[in-house]
Amino acid sequence: MHLVSVMRRCVWAVLLWPNLLTSSVPLDCRQEQGGVSRCSSISQEKLLDRVIQHAELIYRVSEESCSLYEETFIPLPLQFQRNQAGYSCRTLPIPSSRSEVQQISDKWLLHSVLMLVQSWLEPLVYLQTSLDRYDAAPEVIINKTKWVSEKLISLEQGVVVLIKEMLDEGLLNLNHSEEALFQYDVQPEMVESVMKDYTLLSCFKKDAHKMEAFLKLLKCRQTEIYNCS
Amino acid sequence: MTENDANADCVHPIMLIERNTILALCVGRYIQISFRLCCSSLASVTCCCIDTLKKNSDLIADLFVPPLILYPSFSCCLLAPPEPHITECISRDQATFQCWWSPGNFHNLSSPGALRLFYINSLASEWKECPKYVHPNRECFFDNNHTSIWIPYCMQLRGQNNVTYYNEEDCFRVENIVRPDPPVSLNWTLLNISPSGLNYDVMVNWEAPPSADVKTGWMRIEYEIQYRAGNTTKWDALEMQRQTQQTIFGLHVGKEYEVHIRCRMRSFVRFGEFSDPIFIQVISSKGSTFPLTLVLVFGITGVLILVMLIVSSQQRRLMMILLPPVPAPKIKGIDPELLKKGKLDDLNFSSTGGGLGGPPTYATDFYQDELWVEFIEVDAEDAGTGEKEDNQGSDTQRLLDVPQPISHHMNIGFSNAVSFPDSDSGRASCYDPDVPDQDTLMATLLPGQPEDGEVKTSPAPERLLIRTQTAGPQTWFNTDFYAQVSNVMPTGGVVLSPGQQLRIQESTSGTEEEPQQGKEHKGSEDSEEEKEKEEQFQLLVVDPEGGRQAAESNTPQMFAPPSSPIPGEGYQTILPQPAETEPAATAEDGQSPYILPDSPQSQVFARVADYTVVQELNSQHSLLLNPPPRQSPPACRPQHPLKALPSMPVGYITPDLLGSLSP
Repeated sequence: MHLVSVMRRCVWAVLLWPNLLTSSVPLDCRQEQGGVSRCSSISQEKLLDRVIQHAELIYRVSEESCSLYEETFIPLPLQFQRNQAGYSCRTLPIPSSRSEVQQISDKWLLHSVLMLVQSWLEPLVYLQTSLDRYDAAPEVIINKTKWVSEKLISLEQGVVVLIKEMLDEGLLNLNHSEEALFQYDVQPEMVESVMKDYTLLSCFKKDAHKMEAFLKLLKCRQTEIYNCS
Repeated sequence: MTENDANADCVHPIMLIERNTILALCVGRYIQISFRLCCSSLASVTCCCIDTLKKNSDLIADLFVPPLILYPSFSCCLLAPPEPHITECISRDQATFQCWWSPGNFHNLSSPGALRLFYINSLASEWKECPKYVHPNRECFFDNNHTSIWIPYCMQLRGQNNVTYYNEEDCFRVENIVRPDPPVSLNWTLLNISPSGLNYDVMVNWEAPPSADVKTGWMRIEYEIQYRAGNTTKWDALEMQRQTQQTIFGLHVGKEYEVHIRCRMRSFVRFGEFSDPIFIQVISSKGSTFPLTLVLVFGITGVLILVMLIVSSQQRRLMMILLPPVPAPKIKGIDPELLKKGKLDDLNFSSTGGGLGGPPTYATDFYQDELWVEFIEVDAEDAGTGEKEDNQGSDTQRLLDVPQPISHHMNIGFSNAVSFPDSDSGRASCYDPDVPDQDTLMATLLPGQPEDGEVKTSPAPERLLIRTQTAGPQTWFNTDFYAQVSNVMPTGGVVLSPGQQLRIQESTSGTEEEPQQGKEHKGSEDSEEEKEKEEQFQLLVVDPEGGRQAAESNTPQMFAPPSSPIPGEGYQTILPQPAETEPAATAEDGQSPYILPDSPQSQVFARVADYTVVQELNSQHSLLLNPPPRQSPPACRPQHPLKALPSMPVGYITPDLLGSLSP
């Protein structure tokens, strides 16, 4: 049953591939126009929808790969300590309670999302290299991780455009932190590596969920139909 | 720790299990290690067992099903550790959550306020006490302001004197402990009823739980409908549904169904509670449909059974009608086996039926019918045609040399082995109707019966032919069929074999045959009688001694004609069978049922084989027959001094030979 759901989701991911392409349209539009800030080829609403779909898909795939990884590599007793894995997650200065989230502005929402996305770009790359070092990592996990990593880049671009569109801010410099968070040359022991990767995956899953929730709240605010308080 | 022990301490039953938790632990060794390692990942004391019948298959790890098979029934429950502990923490809306605790075995701490709950999260630097107690429930409620999503919380219980009861596993993230409330407003509408009126589909719809904020997208929820027929205990689960409606197909009219629903956050594992069930039932409007169907089904079944009974009871007749037996190619009176062996001596009217491997009984019957037809044609005088049917079995049995005791067709004739039925009309002129052929026939046909004894008991006029040690039928008593050309007169006339003469004779004096035939089975007496008769009738004499030569015939069914003493006799010989028979019996058996008296004329011509080879034509274009040689009789009575005949040529005259014979 789990396999079936995994496969189903993969199929969904494949089918939504064109959707991901469309979310990058604004960028092309922007490039075509030679740096003009506004792009009129896609409406802001549609862009937000597609960004949200993107985030949902990323969360779903990340959740699947985390579960797969857990089943494959984590022995049972440690699985029940997974909640404790949250301790090792990097926390960013962004609101975490719903009340706080409801209180912050749209700008802050978008910037939080952007921060989240950017904070995960490098760790995912590290995760890929780490998984490649495994002797028998399932292909599915590796592929999913690769896919998520790529889509996260697209998501970042989309959020940047959204910020530009909605907040009328200038293009942000996509300057990522120069600080190297991970050491790529050092190969830790297998057990340690496994636990570290597991932590990474579960933390990323959590943050993907957060991104999705933030974007949805933003959407709700945009539509102004419901009282998004 | 056995399952029973676990249930004994069951505190808070949990119906649902998280994925990848349970199974193996509940069944295996982990229980002993630490109950806290089991089922729930919440700060609770572990659940240990799982109900394998539950359809929460997404929660039941596929990986660990095999061990569970050994434990068919589990119920999930919490194991209560002896010390104070947090039993459960649940969030309903991903914005607030509650935690419950239990004092365990420390009953002195059960009073409100004796235990205090502290928590810490990554935002706080120190342990903080519960923001709001609900003491009657031993519950701590965290409101919006104190609830942070996506960050880990840890819980702790403290008693008096700062005694701390803390478990490292009592840590969680709020989004992971979300169990939404059950959906509300569950109801159903009938979609359609199948044309047969037996099945129908319903559309079930509901609303999201009010506590879950799906409108703003804060929570994404998926639903699971489960339903069951009113009298079963097993719920059927449908696929997870994101919309607030679902169709249930294939419900049966007249049955009452119970439906309930639950939900969970999408891509999470914990389900909320089930809603209150609703009941679905559609009563069929056409009440007579069901009985009508039943009646139809039973009616058709009954008719089928009847037909099968008829077919099975009349199987033989049906087989005859549908698959009429193909009569095997036969020449009446000739045993093909003998032909193959080239023993023309033995060809004389030996029974053929059995030798060919025994056609089916019914085929034999038909064949016998044909023979009877022949008989009828031959003997217009035959009376009692109706009797033929009765006799035909026995007669044709004899003719056909049926090896075994006859089938029921035959049995008609064989019913009374000792009595002498008069009816023998079917027989050809050879027989006196008075002669009870059947009995002797029957007697001989039955295996192992001492024909001799029986035969002897039979009154004189038995013609009987059958005389074989085995059940083979024997005699061929109708010599009418074949008339041998025993010699060709210079004048061009043809001298026929005694068979024909016999026939001619019989027509005139039928009774005369009796003594002849009757005698054969007797010992030496027969031969003497034969001799007497022989002179009376110009018929071929059956040589009682001929039986011994039966050894030439391979099959008991064959009637090996007595080659030696009466080579000419060909016609019917009932040959006593195999050579194993004692010589003592020789005198008695071996007698071909047909007594062919030697006629003076036959002395000259008799003793010729049924078939002779035309060796050449003389100048007058007469056929010069080469009488077959006669074999020397083995110590038999010299009563029938027959000429020594040359060895019989093998085979018939073929056209080639005929051509070669022409001068």
